[in-house]
Amino acid sequence: MPDPNTAAASPEALLAQVALGNRGAFEALYRSTCDRLFGICVRVLSNRAEAEEVLQEVFTSVWRKASQYQPGRASAMSWLGMMARNKAIDRLRTHPERSSLTSLDLAAEVPDPGASPAQAVETLAESARLNRCLEELEDKRRTLIRAAFFGGFTYEELARRAEAPLGSVKSWIRRGLAQLRSCLET
Amino acid sequence: MSADLTPPPAGPEAGPPDDDVLAGELVLGVLSGPERARVQARGEREPDFAARIAAWERRLSPWLSGYATVTTPAHLWPELTRRLGWTSEPARTGLWGSLTLWRAATALALLAVLGVWVLRAPSPPVTTAAQEAAAAKPVTTLARDDGTPGWLASVDRSRGTVLMVPVPASPDAQGRVPELWIIPAGQAPISLGQVSLTKSHTVTVPQRAVPDLVAGSVLAITLEPSAGLPHAAPSGPVVAKGAIQT
Repeated sequence: MPDPNTAAASPEALLAQVALGNRGAFEALYRSTCDRLFGICVRVLSNRAEAEEVLQEVFTSVWRKASQYQPGRASAMSWLGMMARNKAIDRLRTHPERSSLTSLDLAAEVPDPGASPAQAVETLAESARLNRCLEELEDKRRTLIRAAFFGGFTYEELARRAEAPLGSVKSWIRRGLAQLRSCLET
Repeated sequence: MSADLTPPPAGPEAGPPDDDVLAGELVLGVLSGPERARVQARGEREPDFAARIAAWERRLSPWLSGYATVTTPAHLWPELTRRLGWTSEPARTGLWGSLTLWRAATALALLAVLGVWVLRAPSPPVTTAAQEAAAAKPVTTLARDDGTPGWLASVDRSRGTVLMVPVPASPDAQGRVPELWIIPAGQAPISLGQVSLTKSHTVTVPQRAVPDLVAGSVLAITLEPSAGLPHAAPSGPVVAKGAIQT
C-alpha cells in the first residue's frame, strides 16, 4: 500500500525516500513511472517478455541505487528513463539475431516527437531546443541519430537498414553528434 | 540517394572518435556489444569520461518523453516485491502457485545441503506437494573451489528459466559481481546475467541457450565488472560451478 504522504509526491521526492529504504515511496514511484519505463523497454526490445524482465531489473536497481541519483544533474524521470533505456540496450546486445532484419524504413522507426502528452512542462523547453538543433543537421544525419535513439540500433544495423557503407554511417553519426553538441552548448 | 553512398573523405574523421563523441555513441546506443561494454567500463573507471556520458544523457534525455507509455502487466509488481525479498507468501493458483512450489522445492534442497534435518521439525515448513516438486526438479549444486555449495540452481527448461539460490556470501572486495554462465559441452560460455550473492531469484535464459539447459552443460559463476552486463565472454575467475542435473 503506498503511503498517502508519498502518493502525490514528485519522482525526485520519492527517490530521496527510496534511498532511505522507504518501501511505500518505492511503490508510489513504481506506480507513477512504470508505464513510461515499460514503454521504453518494449520499444527498444520489441519483445514484451524481455521488456518485463528488464523493467524488473530497472526497479531492482532503483531500490538498491536510489542514493546514487544526483538531483542537480538530471530530473528523476530522465535518470529513470535513461537507466531503463540503457538496460534495455544492454539486453538487446545479447540478442544479435535481430541484426538480421533488413530494409525497413528507418523513418518508420521513429515516433512522432510531438505526440507525448506525458511530457512534463519543464522539459518542453529542453525538448524544443534539442529538436531545433536536430533540425539543423543534414537529413541523413538527423534520420540516423533519431533512428538510433528510438530503435536502439548498432552502427552495423543502421548501415544495413540504410543500405549504406558502415564507414559512412559512422562518419555521419559522429559528425551529427559533434554538431548537435556544439548547437546545444551555445 | 547516390550522394549518400559516397564514402567519407579520409582524414581525422576516419580514425577513432574523440572521447566526447565516443561518450555520445555510447549514450545513443550505436556501439556493438563488446565495444559498448569496453566504453561502459571506461565510464566506471574514469570520472572525466563518466561526466561526458552524463552530459550526453542530459542532452538527449528530452527524447525519452517521445516513447509511448505501455501499460505494465499487473503481475510485475508482486514479482518485483518477491525479487526484492519483501514477500514470500504463497499464492494459491496458477503460475504463482507453481512458482512458489518451485521456490519451496529449492529452499528444501538448500536446507538439505546445509544439513538441516527439516523433516524432524514439529510442523514441517514445506508441504508434501513441495516435496514432490523437489523430487521432480533435481537441483544443481554450484560448488566453490573448497567444495562448499555457493549456489543451488533449479533448471526449468520448459520455461527457459533457472532459479538461483545463493548460500549467502560476502561481496567481492574489488567490487566485482557474480555473473552466471551456461557452458554447453564443448562450446563457449553464454552469459545468463548477474546473480545475487544474498537473495534467490529467477534468471531468464536467452532463447538461443534454452536448448542447452540439459545434462552435460555446466553452470558456472565468475566475478566480473558490473559494467556491461551481461558480458560477451567471461574475463574474471570462476568462483563456483556444477554440471546440470536433469
